[in-house]
Amino acid sequence: MKPNKQLALVIDLNVCVGCQACVTSCKEWNTSGSAGPLNDLNAYESSPSGTFFNRVQTYESGVFPNSQTIHFPKSCLHCEEPPCVPVCPTGASYKRKEDGIVLVDYDKCIGCSYCSWACPYGARELDQERQVMTKCTLCVDRIYSTTLPESEKKPACVLACPTSARIFGDVHDKNSEASKAIQERSGYTLMPEWETQPANHYLPRKINEDIHSQGDQR
Amino acid sequence: MRPQFSIIFFTTLAGMAQGLLLGLILLKIFDAFLPGDFVIQLGLPVAFFLLCLGLFASFFHLGHPEKAWRAVMMWRTSWLSREVIALPLLMTIVMVIYFTTSWMEVPLWLWFVLLLANLFLWLCTAKIYQSIQFIQEWSHPSTLLNFIFLGITSGWILMEILILLSNNLPQKIPFSIFSTLALLFLSLACLLKLWTWKRNKGLKPKSNLASATGIKGNNIRQISMGFMGGSFNTREFFHHQSTYFIQNIRNIVLVCAYLLPFILIVISFFLLPTMMLVLSLCIHYGGLIAERWLFFAEANHPQNLYYQRVA
Repeated sequence: MKPNKQLALVIDLNVCVGCQACVTSCKEWNTSGSAGPLNDLNAYESSPSGTFFNRVQTYESGVFPNSQTIHFPKSCLHCEEPPCVPVCPTGASYKRKEDGIVLVDYDKCIGCSYCSWACPYGARELDQERQVMTKCTLCVDRIYSTTLPESEKKPACVLACPTSARIFGDVHDKNSEASKAIQERSGYTLMPEWETQPANHYLPRKINEDIHSQGDQR
Repeated sequence: MRPQFSIIFFTTLAGMAQGLLLGLILLKIFDAFLPGDFVIQLGLPVAFFLLCLGLFASFFHLGHPEKAWRAVMMWRTSWLSREVIALPLLMTIVMVIYFTTSWMEVPLWLWFVLLLANLFLWLCTAKIYQSIQFIQEWSHPSTLLNFIFLGITSGWILMEILILLSNNLPQKIPFSIFSTLALLFLSLACLLKLWTWKRNKGLKPKSNLASATGIKGNNIRQISMGFMGGSFNTREFFHHQSTYFIQNIRNIVLVCAYLLPFILIVISFFLLPTMMLVLSLCIHYGGLIAERWLFFAEANHPQNLYYQRVA
């Protein structure tokens, strides 16, 4: 029962520099919309706590001097088999047939948090003040906007990224930029062991050995 | 996972009510070591009251309790939705039987309906946890068995107390058979718990940082989770206690939920039966709360892989 169209993000780990611009632009757009704010509690106190749809994390691998630092953006992966959807008792959590975006209907959500338990990625956050489950919407209100210019009908994080590490598109359309990136650069999904078939893909690091050897020559 | 007292009280109170109902149904179906009045006039109302308490507690779990009725909508796919239907259904059947007796004999089939509804609620409650396949501690039939065994144990001891308090002692069999059965249920529940702990200890997590991030290479470690404040992800999926604390809770569960009640029931054979059983149930219930707390705390959610370091 796969939707014909599956909008998703493809994230290039080669060029993500961990600047957090996608995090702040996401928050800025999604806290300002008609769907309601993403609340921050104690924002200016010693223990702030807030709702975000997107985070950039940092990992290291290897052992010095052959180590790498990897900046790793993480948001809802809009799974093709989303485990969070069937568990929702009210039907508030749903996957759109027309474009595969997984959304929450705040009017129906009773804040039971069960969908967040059923997501292995921790992609959902219960807003502390509104007491409804929130998550990345792929900026559904931007991409179908009737007022924004065509060039801005993309998720806020994609527009904000200074290194174009985020590719937005239909991963079921073989000719889309996103699909081509996945195919040509062996895009992969997270936690394939749970068979959730995430729509979002990641492009693996390609280590350029030449840089290192050139550095040695200098 | 973070233990939530609303669910802890709901599952333990409803479990006790279901255990009591199962005991009453068995007495009724195998007819009647006891006067029928006891089952109807005392047993059913007490079970109903416990179910009401459980239902009340469960509302505190919701962010929007006023919209709770919506939770019946997705019964086709969601065990939580099924539970939301099963609980009021069970309560209704209890009430129907209670009021039927005032003008006619309750037909046997109605008791079977009650039995089915009772078992169905257990199935729903356990499946909510058991069906989350990546929480490996929960994703096993022992989750269902544990809920049923402990429900039967606590409900059975409660039934014994009600029998003694209302002075409705069985006529054809000695009362000690009831207590012997209580000891049997308690032992079974304890063996299952010990086995579950052993299983949990040996579990190998299917997800790790390599599969969670897809980063190639060895020695992958998180440097930063991406923020320094708190978030839902850092609160909801971890118990926030030390290993020492958890170990102590484990000992409390062992002593209060199983050992002490066992000893007290054995003592009840010889002296002060009512008092010993009441004491045993009180301690057992305290142990049950600790057991359910631990049930949550021991569950490892793979999302925690993404939230290990603050920098």
